[in-house]
Amino acid sequence: MKNKIISMEQAAELVSDGSSLGLGGWIFNSQPMALVRALVRHGSKELTLVPSPGSMAPDLLIGAGQVRKTFCVFISFEQYGLAPHFRRAAENGSIDVTDIDGPGFAGGLRASMGDLPWIPIPDLGTDLPRHAPEQYRPLPTGPGERRLIATMAIKPDVCFIHAQQADELGNVQFLGSPFFDVMLAQASRKVVVSVDRIVSTETIRRFNHLTKLPSALVDAVVHVPFGAHPTASHGLYEADETQLRGYVRASAKTDAFAGWLETCVRDPASHAEYLDRMGGAVIGALAADGSLA
Amino acid sequence: MSDQHSSPSTSELLAILLARDLADGEKAIIGTNSDIQVAACNLARSMHAPHLWWVSGPGGMVNPVQDRLLPTAGYANIAPSEALLDLPDMIDFIDWKVHFFDFAILSVLQVDRHGNINTAVVGQQQRPRLRGPGTVGISALCGLSRRFYVVVQRHDRHTFVPQVDFICGAGFLSGGTSREEAGLSPGGPCLVVSPFGVFDFEPVSKAMRVRSLHPGVELRQVQENTGFELLCEGEPAVTQMPLPEELSLLRQKVDRQGVLRSSQR
Repeated sequence: MKNKIISMEQAAELVSDGSSLGLGGWIFNSQPMALVRALVRHGSKELTLVPSPGSMAPDLLIGAGQVRKTFCVFISFEQYGLAPHFRRAAENGSIDVTDIDGPGFAGGLRASMGDLPWIPIPDLGTDLPRHAPEQYRPLPTGPGERRLIATMAIKPDVCFIHAQQADELGNVQFLGSPFFDVMLAQASRKVVVSVDRIVSTETIRRFNHLTKLPSALVDAVVHVPFGAHPTASHGLYEADETQLRGYVRASAKTDAFAGWLETCVRDPASHAEYLDRMGGAVIGALAADGSLA
Repeated sequence: MSDQHSSPSTSELLAILLARDLADGEKAIIGTNSDIQVAACNLARSMHAPHLWWVSGPGGMVNPVQDRLLPTAGYANIAPSEALLDLPDMIDFIDWKVHFFDFAILSVLQVDRHGNINTAVVGQQQRPRLRGPGTVGISALCGLSRRFYVVVQRHDRHTFVPQVDFICGAGFLSGGTSREEAGLSPGGPCLVVSPFGVFDFEPVSKAMRVRSLHPGVELRQVQENTGFELLCEGEPAVTQMPLPEELSLLRQKVDRQGVLRSSQR
């Protein structure tokens, strides 16, 4: 059996210029942030993003100037405001945005999971097909039948996902909700998962109902404690509201954002140093709060 | 914690107005960042609708009822829930099934005369004047649930527009019978709640009309802040403001930490 553990740097190298990248999690939960920061340092360009409803993972890559195009199911900083770089880049035309809805996205992933060209979804009367004719196609419908449209298969070259634990064989376990991650993994050509901890295969077997991504679906595992920070990792730690708010604030100005990038992404020599900069007391409190529930 | 007897905040008012309209045994879905929506459902459950059923869209937690408001996608919602569904399994009833959900409660960037809603862009889709978060489940919920509610926290002409710039969720489209003609299942918007009042849709034209205005709000003021002509039949009714028992249930059983009273949300 192959040991699938690789470093963050090796994970970033899997994303070549011009490729499409799936990003897992959901808004402030399980965004694969350590992998995204490694990818910013690596500097892959001209990416097409395929983000699950997200916040900082897509926004940071857009802010770092590495994105040419993104799908948008939902990209938001919710109570902290709109996603700052996504918003600016969409408004000034420096990225192409394909608006897509939940059915279009889920159907597109499902089509890809089953090697189908497309999947039928209900025609819901929206403006989405008009703006993304390459993603939504009209379908013939018989009299008296529901009106349907096709959503084309979505197949990222690589996807980055964050989960709580895995063994070195690549059996990945979720202690909370897996959101869209299982579909995204099945739809992608290459699957890279960061986990907060590595456990033994014995532990995996003992709690096998938690294995949502069996090793056959996983290409590589990266061991990064607090790898979703500043977003949450279900069962292990809460989202870091101060850091999320700080990112939105820093992103309002070019020089402030450049400083933020230095401090939080480029300068730290290692992930451990990144965590040191965030503050041991802060990280400890996030873990204490997050493991309570 | 602030005074338990202080007058309701706008968010508290909207949650209470919505809660009154939700019926026992109904099924609902709630998205991320939905404090007012969660409060409305949990308050209805603690009043007249103990069997109202709701699921967290992103997280899959079913009826995570507790005495404080937590993010719907958060881990802390798992422990008090009856079930933890996987999103891939939920997709079938969220995205395809007709009338699985009785209602959804949605926030918007824009809502128009016929209750179509927009959460994507103001202006053009490419190079918009304002880029919003996107559509996510709104298309399916507006198209497939039996009815939906629109929550507006700022009542102005930027929000209430003659026609939305991008239809993310279909209301009554261009009014009249156009929703049915587009092949959509029966449903559509039932109420819009704002800091000024409660609005519904005239049954034939499907145009927005005033159902009630909150105490002290004048029709002229509402019309000036609405980008189209609101229908109004006679003298507008006055909204029944939260009763003391509604407010105390909300504050003691649903939102103990006063999230809806803080200015953050």
